[in-house]
Amino acid sequence: MNALFFRLQHRYAPYLFVAPFVILFLTFTLYPIAKSLSLSFYITNGPKSQVFVGWDNFRFLWGDPAFHRAVWNTCTYALTSVFLQLPLSLGLALLLNSRLVKGRNFFRFGFFSPHLVGQVFVAVLFSVVFIPKFGLLNRVLHALVGTAIDTKWLGNPELVMPALVLTSLWMYVGFNMIYFLAALQSVDRELYEAAQVDGAGAFKQFVHVTLPGIRSVAVFVTVLSTIGSFQLFELPYVMLSNTAGPDNSGLTVVMYLFQNGFIAGDLGYASAIGWTLTMGVLVISLAQMRLTGTWKRED
Amino acid sequence: MKNRLFSVELPFGKAPALLVLVTALTGLYLFFHPVETSQATLRLWTFASNHAVPYQKAIPSFETAHPGTQLEVQLVHGDAVNSRLRAAFWADLDVPDLVEVEISRAGSFFRGPAEDVGFIDLMPILKRTGYYDRIVQTRFAPYRNRGRIYGLPHDVHPVVLAYRRDLFEELGIDVRQIRTWDDFVRIGREVSVPGERYMIELSDNNAGHFEMFLFQRDGGYFDAEGALIMDNEVALETLLFFIPLVAGSERIGSDLGSSRLFTQAVESGYFLSFICPDWRSKGTETDIPRMGGKMALMPLPAVRAGGRRTSTWGGTMLGITKSCPDPELAWQVAEHMYFNKAELAERFRETNILPPLKDAWEHPAFDEPRAYWSGQKLGRIYADLADDVPPQYASPFIETAKSKMAGVISSCAAYYRENGREGFEEFARARLLAAAEEVRRYIQRNPY
Repeated sequence: MNALFFRLQHRYAPYLFVAPFVILFLTFTLYPIAKSLSLSFYITNGPKSQVFVGWDNFRFLWGDPAFHRAVWNTCTYALTSVFLQLPLSLGLALLLNSRLVKGRNFFRFGFFSPHLVGQVFVAVLFSVVFIPKFGLLNRVLHALVGTAIDTKWLGNPELVMPALVLTSLWMYVGFNMIYFLAALQSVDRELYEAAQVDGAGAFKQFVHVTLPGIRSVAVFVTVLSTIGSFQLFELPYVMLSNTAGPDNSGLTVVMYLFQNGFIAGDLGYASAIGWTLTMGVLVISLAQMRLTGTWKRED
Repeated sequence: MKNRLFSVELPFGKAPALLVLVTALTGLYLFFHPVETSQATLRLWTFASNHAVPYQKAIPSFETAHPGTQLEVQLVHGDAVNSRLRAAFWADLDVPDLVEVEISRAGSFFRGPAEDVGFIDLMPILKRTGYYDRIVQTRFAPYRNRGRIYGLPHDVHPVVLAYRRDLFEELGIDVRQIRTWDDFVRIGREVSVPGERYMIELSDNNAGHFEMFLFQRDGGYFDAEGALIMDNEVALETLLFFIPLVAGSERIGSDLGSSRLFTQAVESGYFLSFICPDWRSKGTETDIPRMGGKMALMPLPAVRAGGRRTSTWGGTMLGITKSCPDPELAWQVAEHMYFNKAELAERFRETNILPPLKDAWEHPAFDEPRAYWSGQKLGRIYADLADDVPPQYASPFIETAKSKMAGVISSCAAYYRENGREGFEEFARARLLAAAEEVRRYIQRNPY
């Protein structure tokens, strides 16, 4: 009896242990993904009333100015993430990797810590910083220029995106810095010594030793930042008080998806937006990996 | 030795065994301590704490009058009412029997086939009980859809102008001389100092304040038949009047946003006046107590001499859901909460909200002078304007229309800041048309 029990346990225990994950994955991930694909061909009013419209959701999306605006905003944010945030992260990592800097661990933690508090908290914090007239930023500017400043950082369509980018810099520069730091520490010191012997200066060492040495991490961080940028939602949603901001200046693709699915109740159109976003992110990520030669190197 | 023996008996080690043990124990605990479910016969959701408190006070009298009935009033956050109610309707789960919905959100619940709307039609019962004729008629407008009335109006929300009486007097402004908006703007330009002091709180990036000007002119987003009218000549005229108030060198209005900042702005004299529906007057008393005796109210300036001296801002409906097993009993709750004159008078004292039941305004509570408002009879000021409150017609696409209008205001304000009056009318017309076209595209693809 005991022998049979242990034999059965040996055979079925692994399945039992993975069963919770598999059941949850099938129920809450795979099924919703498949369902959202089918929903994207319907106009819906909740799950009960659905009208099949074929590709019409995607055609409508193609000509939808609000979606265009959302894509534009999201791309702007993603580009600043890649071209502003990542160089800053790398710069900080280089600085904090240098033995000349005292208290490196303190600064590393200091720069990383904004990421620990979460997007909603950061959004609330910065919405207070950006308050017109009485906000911290305007008060500082007031002290600098000497005249009253009542700039509406989150109320002026032209200033909303810079405000979002500034907030995300504060939050993510330190986070990405950690990846770069780890990569920098794994670059072989002997390569630097060899380069020095060959007469390479600091800049040449950076270009010919450091960058190739951290390339795989840089590609990873770039792809991750791009994907994260395209998923932007909480930050503008909270900072702009659950709206898309003035003249949709803070509308992102995911926010537009949310508005259509959960405010307007059209889960079909929201699914079409979701699948378009997925395809877009997939294409961009593949392009990034191809351009950076990730596959070639692995081959 | 002990560990080895243990690991022999449990081939996957101690950790999985511990996981199984913890799962079993927590499962057993939950099995024997299930989450307590509500025992209430009827559940009412409201999103406003100033509604919830008086409703909770009214529960005992209702339960005494209806033995065996247990009424529960749940305070649910405004955004959560929207998302939870929608999800509840979709899934037929946890649907409250009665629910209060904010006016700008109500229309979105009327989307889809009429049989799928989650609320019952109140028109028959309103007619049968005679309440239909006793309520301010324009307040049914936002809750009407396809000939049905899905919501009972909670309020009238007439709008007046609240002003810093002390500062007005200091600046030599005589409110009796302000009869039209032109009078108001002329004086406003004399006393406003950019970045320091503004005649009125007005926003240049959302549609909230603009709407009041639009409604005052008998404009709106939709007409009584549900046709989109947000790009008609009234809207354009309103936009051409409104934008110079909030943008450009001669602006007399600004806004700061949240209530805490608003308090600071009123106390510091940054805003000399602000648009004040009845509900906001109570918020002002509570949030800015230091201004007690320094504030006063006046009817809105008219668009043209002799014209309408009010508009409207906000609102709430009470709906009875189709999931309610006893709609008659739910109606009695609605009657108890909305039409009990003595309770309405007491509630007015607590909330300053003018009920839509016209006979209720005869109560002395509406003629009491209020020290905070420089001794004015706040209730009578609002009640005298109530019959002139313009209608707000709604549609399932009202939120889309409002969002597009907010975009028009932002972009027109930006244009006006850059270019002033030059080419402004053409720009404003084009933006209004483009925004309306976007809304029409959404409406046209709606198959219901």
